[in-house]
Amino acid sequence: MFHWLEKNPFFFAVGVFLVIAFAGIISILPDFAKSSQPLVGTKPYTVLELTGRHVYIKDSCNACHSQLIRPFKNETDRYGKYSLSGEYAYDRPFLWGSKRTGPDLMRIGNYRTTDWHANHMWEPTAIVPGSIMPRYRHHFTNIANFETAYAEAVTVKKVFNVPYDKPNMPKLGTFEEAQKEALIEAKKIAAAMKKDTDNNDIKTALDNGQIPEIVALIAYLNSLK
Amino acid sequence: MNWFSDNVNQIALLGAAVIILATVFVVGKYIKQMKTDRSTGVLADDTWDGIGEYKNPLPMGWAITFLLTMIWAMWYLTLGYPVNSYSQIGEWNEEVQAYNKAFEEKHKNIKGEELTNMGEGVFLVQCAPCHGIDAEGINGKAQGFVDQRMTKEQVLDVINRGSAALGDNPAGNLGYPMMVMPPMMATGADAEAIAEYVSKGMKGDAPVSFAACSSCHGVDGKGLGGQSPNIAEFDEILIMKTLEHGKVGSIGDMPKFNDGRLSDIQKRAVSTYILSLSK
Ligand code: HEC
Ligand code: HEC
Ligand code: HEC
Repeated sequence: MFHWLEKNPFFFAVGVFLVIAFAGIISILPDFAKSSQPLVGTKPYTVLELTGRHVYIKDSCNACHSQLIRPFKNETDRYGKYSLSGEYAYDRPFLWGSKRTGPDLMRIGNYRTTDWHANHMWEPTAIVPGSIMPRYRHHFTNIANFETAYAEAVTVKKVFNVPYDKPNMPKLGTFEEAQKEALIEAKKIAAAMKKDTDNNDIKTALDNGQIPEIVALIAYLNSLK
Repeated sequence: MNWFSDNVNQIALLGAAVIILATVFVVGKYIKQMKTDRSTGVLADDTWDGIGEYKNPLPMGWAITFLLTMIWAMWYLTLGYPVNSYSQIGEWNEEVQAYNKAFEEKHKNIKGEELTNMGEGVFLVQCAPCHGIDAEGINGKAQGFVDQRMTKEQVLDVINRGSAALGDNPAGNLGYPMMVMPPMMATGADAEAIAEYVSKGMKGDAPVSFAACSSCHGVDGKGLGGQSPNIAEFDEILIMKTLEHGKVGSIGDMPKFNDGRLSDIQKRAVSTYILSLSK
């Protein structure tokens, strides 16, 4: 058998690859599977937060912001505790990012508030003089795509067994239930957005059962802890 | 020839020349050896695909190195790796511990201007995004620290709603020993008068109705030495409590800073800085 392999360098190379790949798989995968389990206390996103996550992805916030705090003192001083892989268990896809034009946002929910985000997204330079972050005023008028987020939540629940509707976990329910729940949350956020921004449009939209992008985005940012 | 006067370039050129010379010398030696050397010795009986092998004894140096490598491998497999294995988190822990120790050592007796300067640094990074780099509160979006302890609206809101105007913890929000502030201790014109008086910094004669407040906040409004918040001026206790517990007031949300991001010295520094602003 080995004679045959020695005379066929191509298949010999394939054999070498298989042996090394097998060794790699049995030494990497078990550890990987273990560390990608959700940490105790990590919860899947509510549908409103997921809606905001779609806004975040759509407007490429991850092009300028990372969500990965490395275990270096200078980072943990500014952003809080270093990230652990289990914290990303419900991120599909994760938004680590690869460039920090702006600060890391992994735990932004711990040290910024709804009102702050509203003012900052409306006019970053009014809050942080000299900021080069673009304004996102269209978030205040665009209506977020709640349906897609609900569909995603249902899909990951069915396909990956994400623990929606389990005790102490976010509720999903039927589309109408989810929408009602999200509107209640969204109205709380809208009430906490106070200054400088034009809130009337947002309140009217919410009263009509629509969720403006800014509200969903803030719900998402507040959930990053 | 400007580039040649740069001594890094000169060293690089010299290095390149040495490498080329050494290569020519070594390669030449081996080529000569291949041409002239004749190997001698006793051939082993077996051949492998027609290639024979001499029965040479192991070179001593090689054998010793091989043995040492085996011993090292045993040690590494059983002790070296499992006991001393590298961990990034471990390195972080060590780094932080060493840093904090050095920091505490260095700033043990920090005071005066040095402390205020450190506080300004902390403030600009952690607090200025909300309180503004001038600490005036960015047009009423957060507490201002320069002119006024609280506005009339803020005081009125606390009088009307009590502790509920400071957060949603029914057992008190700022964590003072007196815990909660009851709502409606004063109403109507009395409340207006008190709020006016407090917001002006409690100067001059107190309105008679302030008696409703002085039992807890003291006649001077300074909180009876930390029993309840100082409503006359900012003080270190108030700032520490706010950092520890956060606050949800009539202006907005003040997040907690209780996750170890600020060390005790830094907290003292930032509060010294804030207090220096209203002086
Ligand atoms: C062109 C790059 C860029 C893009 C795109 C961008 N940002 Fe920023 N962002 C910045 C910079 C630079 C800062 C720092 C200055 C400031 O705070 O405004 C920042 C700051 C922030 C902060 C404050 C972080 C802190 O710790 O103070 C938040 C929150 C934020 N951005 C959210 C977003 C969101 C949400 C999006 C997508 C809608 C986004 N950013 C898109 C560059 C960007
Ligand atoms: C029973 C004792 C008590 C009385 C009487 C009382 N307070 Fe208070 N007050 C407190 C306590 C305790 C707190 C902190 C509450 C908390 O942490 O939830 C507080 C908080 C406040 C605050 C908020 C301070 C801050 O830092 O935000 C203001 C303003 C205030 N009181 C004003 C008044 C005024 C004006 C009166 C009189 C009408 C009054 N208080 C009467 C105990 C009292
Ligand atoms: C996300 C924005 C934000 C950040 C960051 C922030 N604050 Fe605040 N802070 C607020 C707001 C808003 C209030 C006003 C709360 C109210 O009374 O409604 C406030 C109030 C306060 C008060 C007054 C509390 C009282 O009882 O009167 C103090 C003191 C304070 N902040 C200190 C700090 C310090 C020190 C830092 C930095 C280490 C800081 N804050 C960072 C938003 C912030």
